[in-house]
Amino acid sequence: MLKNDLILRSPAEKTIGAENITNGQFGAVLSRAGVGKTGFLVQIALTRLLCDEKVLHISLCDTIEKITIRYNEGYTSLVESIGYVDAQIAEHLWDEIQHHKTGIAYSQSTFSVNKIRDYLDSFKGADITLPTLMIIDGLDFDTDLSGMLSDLKQLQEDFGLCTWFSMKSHREEPLKRNGYPVQLENYDMLFEWAVFLVPEENKIQATVLKDGDRTDQKFLLDPATLMPAEE
Amino acid sequence: MIRDLKRVRNIGISAHIDSGKTTLTERILFYTNRIHKINEVRGKDGTGAVMDSMELEKERGITIASAATHCEWDNHAVNIIDTPGHVDFTVEVERSLRVLDGVVLILCSVSGVQSQSITVDQQMKRYEVPCIAFVNKCDRSGANPLKVCNQLKEKLGHNSVMLQLPIGLEDKHEGIIDLVKMKAYYFEGDNGEEMVEAQIPAELQGDADAAREEMLDAVSLFSEELTDAVLEEAEITEEMIMSAVRTGTIAREMTPVFLGSAYKNKAVQPLLNAVIDYLPCPLDIKNEAIDLDNDEEAVILESDFDKPAVALAFKLEDGQYGQLTYIRVYQGCVKKGDTLINARDHKKVKIGRLIRMHSNQTEDVDAVPAGHIGAMFGIDCASGDTFVSPDVNYSMMAMHVMDPVISLSITPKDNKAQINMSKALNRFTKEDPTFKTYVDHETGDTIIQGMGELHLEVYVERMKREYSAEVATGQPRVAYRETITRKAPFNYTHKKQTGGAGQFGRVAGFMEPTEEEFEFVNKITGGRIPTQYIPACEKGFVGCLVKGPSLEFPVTGIKVTLEDGAYHAVDSSEMAFQSAARGGFLEAYNKAKPVIMEPIMKVVIETPNEFQGACMGLINQRRGIIQGSQEEGVMSVIESQVPLSDMFGFSTVLRSATQGKAQFTMEFSSYKQAPLSVAEEIAKKKAEEKAAKNK
Repeated sequence: MLKNDLILRSPAEKTIGAENITNGQFGAVLSRAGVGKTGFLVQIALTRLLCDEKVLHISLCDTIEKITIRYNEGYTSLVESIGYVDAQIAEHLWDEIQHHKTGIAYSQSTFSVNKIRDYLDSFKGADITLPTLMIIDGLDFDTDLSGMLSDLKQLQEDFGLCTWFSMKSHREEPLKRNGYPVQLENYDMLFEWAVFLVPEENKIQATVLKDGDRTDQKFLLDPATLMPAEE
Repeated sequence: MIRDLKRVRNIGISAHIDSGKTTLTERILFYTNRIHKINEVRGKDGTGAVMDSMELEKERGITIASAATHCEWDNHAVNIIDTPGHVDFTVEVERSLRVLDGVVLILCSVSGVQSQSITVDQQMKRYEVPCIAFVNKCDRSGANPLKVCNQLKEKLGHNSVMLQLPIGLEDKHEGIIDLVKMKAYYFEGDNGEEMVEAQIPAELQGDADAAREEMLDAVSLFSEELTDAVLEEAEITEEMIMSAVRTGTIAREMTPVFLGSAYKNKAVQPLLNAVIDYLPCPLDIKNEAIDLDNDEEAVILESDFDKPAVALAFKLEDGQYGQLTYIRVYQGCVKKGDTLINARDHKKVKIGRLIRMHSNQTEDVDAVPAGHIGAMFGIDCASGDTFVSPDVNYSMMAMHVMDPVISLSITPKDNKAQINMSKALNRFTKEDPTFKTYVDHETGDTIIQGMGELHLEVYVERMKREYSAEVATGQPRVAYRETITRKAPFNYTHKKQTGGAGQFGRVAGFMEPTEEEFEFVNKITGGRIPTQYIPACEKGFVGCLVKGPSLEFPVTGIKVTLEDGAYHAVDSSEMAFQSAARGGFLEAYNKAKPVIMEPIMKVVIETPNEFQGACMGLINQRRGIIQGSQEEGVMSVIESQVPLSDMFGFSTVLRSATQGKAQFTMEFSSYKQAPLSVAEEIAKKKAEEKAAKNK
């Protein structure tokens, strides 16, 4: 019951729709530095954890401790957005779902698709349920990633995953004609879903850049919690 | 003994396994003239280091029991407790920290802050022990003391401040720059015993100036005088800096960082100076006991030699002349010939022989005054006992001791082994509160319990070596527990009339899950069960917790609420209500959906990056949950939670999967409900065992 309530409150559900998150394709959360890409990715991951699915969170910018803190904060924001929830029930639920998340921290230079493949192979070897969602946070889209992205595409096909990336845009770079930051434009064909976060007065505006039905829809989020803001 | 307590230091040396604790201690003993030859851990000469006094420790190259030793440096008495690094033996670390005033935390300059350092750090926090850090192995390839200093900040939350800079690293490591004195130090002679002071090499002067400025910034927070001098650009004396560092360290608000290479005899003497300069003396530390005559109120112990004596037994060993009890005296003075009281059982003990230890050699002394560590011979007591003068009734605070999670049946091979095994078990259980033993009355087997496979293995080995007790071991068994998952009512009447006085008692209420081990709530009104029978009801329920009705594991997490009942003026008795409670428990228990709980261990693997995937695979195969994995340079650290039952033999599997290059630590985390398939497997095994017994 609480799980459903929390999913419904999620900013990821509001903007993308929970069903679109794991649709076997690449998704991206874009913004310039410090706006809330990681926080939004965590909310995406939480919707899957709340559906009792496994999530693999790979970070090239945060330590494991930081990743764990981000998930704790994300969950707390979600719970608090409902209003009154029995603290014990919320805690039990967190105990239950948090173990379905595995965080791996790599540095930019040591990250390789083969390492993830090795790891995912071990799931198959041990006959364990595979993660359905992989988050990759901190990949540098200002460099040429075409080789790596095509390997990742293959990986997600082989293991039936969906992958969401963070994509850092830059304030000084003008948007392309379709409203895309250049980082997304470069790999347009590979991405099915994309959400662009932009600070808007004292809120954050989440614009759906790519997603069939919802394209160009805008949602306001609270900058501290990333929860849907009161209109 | 030095009676000026300002010139006494009681220190521990704590770190991750293989960080070089024993090597460093060996160097300290050499430089303080306690030994005249350096032996390496697992040395080629087959001698082994002096601090590893147990044969087994020498063989395995690990330090199992804390060896206490005394030495003198710069006119100060330094008592050192060498502590074990493996998690299975953390009770030793905890006991040491309980009696120490300060700790030297050793970190490897290549591996940095490792999992065991984190455990030790948590223990230091629990006992509020100030520490200084020594970044060892600066001669190793990949050494990076600056990175380690930052890890102290990031991973352990220490306000770490470098007080030294290296002169060269890896194979070019020559010495250190002291940022307080702004001098360079080199270590010459066969064993680095000659400390040569020199000017800072010109090429490092810029780095040294910048590092000193950074150090002064951090340190000036602890001294107004130093802050003023920095702001006014006045002369900054060594004393000002040292006093500020000492204040910050003792308050546990900063961790000064030193560096060197114990193995290559580099910079051990400056570390010894730092122990004297920055770690607290007994007078700097507040020690508390509880007054058993005064509602267990906390009392502050004073390091006054004339006050009644209070001493804590923190370690027991079998010596040549009977039991050797290591004590730390907190107040007064323990003298030869004194009569003290053991606060636990109020038995009088007469102090016969008092000694000071140097690992496995002893030196007789007449008294051990407050603030010092010594040992008594021939006193029968357990580890953690408090000894006091007859005029006070104090007890030191209880030490945090964890429940064992694994058990093993042992069978002596012959009669002689049987006698020796009993002697050994008697000693071990007194020495180590996490090691327990009992006889299973159904099978007649002797069962030993402990904190991990290695923990029990070591005791089995010690039985063989020290007591010539050859024992055969059974399969390790996990300490499963049972609990209930839902509320269930009971309404049970115990009625018997078989001639003579009858038995009658009725209990009604419900049981439900709780976070506590056991709760009993009495809601009986109107005297339906007379008050004098209520404790018997509780006793009846408690009695059922020892063994679950079907699987016979201990039952925990049950709250029983007694709401109603009935009694008979003649036939009711305590016995009848105990039986009624037992009946009520059995009636409700199966309705309350009992489940099996299994111990889950926190397993941390450190592996070269190339084996990261393989190691994560091993965890996956063991029903483990990987919480995270982080690459740190060439190594990866994988944190996971794995059921203990799947960890047997893991060290062998890990070794073969990683060419012996990975290591792991394991400690108890929590009890979690076992999955249905596992629970069924356990139930099946239990049924087979029962059937075999009944044959």
